Amino acid sequence: MTTPSAPRLNPLHLLAAFGTGGLLTLMVHFNGELGRYGNALFSSWAAHGTGTVAALVLLAILYPWRARNAGAKPHAPLWAYLGGISGAITVMLTSFAVNSPLALSGTLALGLAGQVIFSIVADRWGLFGLPMRRSDRRDLAAMVLILAGSALIILFGRGNA
Amino acid sequence: MTLPILFACLAGVLVGVSRQVNGRLSLSTSPLIASFWNHIVGFVALSILGLSIGGLIPEGAADAPWHAYLGGSIGVVFVAAGSWLIARIGAVNTALLVIGGQMVSGVALDVLQGVSAGLLASVLGVTLILVGMALTQRRR
Repeated sequence: MTTPSAPRLNPLHLLAAFGTGGLLTLMVHFNGELGRYGNALFSSWAAHGTGTVAALVLLAILYPWRARNAGAKPHAPLWAYLGGISGAITVMLTSFAVNSPLALSGTLALGLAGQVIFSIVADRWGLFGLPMRRSDRRDLAAMVLILAGSALIILFGRGNA
Repeated sequence: MTLPILFACLAGVLVGVSRQVNGRLSLSTSPLIASFWNHIVGFVALSILGLSIGGLIPEGAADAPWHAYLGGSIGVVFVAAGSWLIARIGAVNTALLVIGGQMVSGVALDVLQGVSAGLLASVLGVTLILVGMALTQRRR
């Protein structure tokens, strides 16, 4: 199931993604503060624990709405439930890299590179059962600009502060 | 030095893997249910790790202010939003726009907190990101 690249991105999706990045800033800020009182492992452990409770509360609140909208959906393979393992390993790798000569800025910059390269491969071949998407030249230009701006901020802006 | 570089890159790859896997689960369930599984599975994995290497609950943890514990709840919405988005706009767009939003809001947080070091580079970086985002909105 190949989806030809859409004529343009839905502005609502764009805003949602951009706002999601804002949530990430807040999350990193709070988890970082917790990490300073304890350590990186504790911070991530506590965030996953409180997150589990928060998700249950949200699911309970939204249950009536969901029950009305439940329909037949394709069955999920077992591995689809294991995304959290990947997240747990990320915590360990990151805390190791941050405490190396790479420091925070180097870790962030390389992590960003790894994430973008993986996303290109994932879209190209539709990895893990998601639709394939092809990038065009305009997508690449947007990518270069966003990555260059991020590198500037990480290496010479925030990271140096 | 090779190992830290490898680990840092791999950490980024795994961020993408988990978004991809959670996105797949959300297709069969819902973004919020995918986020729930992500958190409970991660919690169990980290519990096992912490219990085996020790130091899971450090002494200073009790002194942390209550708001330091808000990260997990924000993370639930973050993972749910990522799972919802990746199925709609793809992995590349999700990764780039979330990174852009993180960078711009990070600079905003710095400015609000009165951190002015590297402001010029930051402003230039924010400009490039916004131009890149505008490019995704241009009609062909």
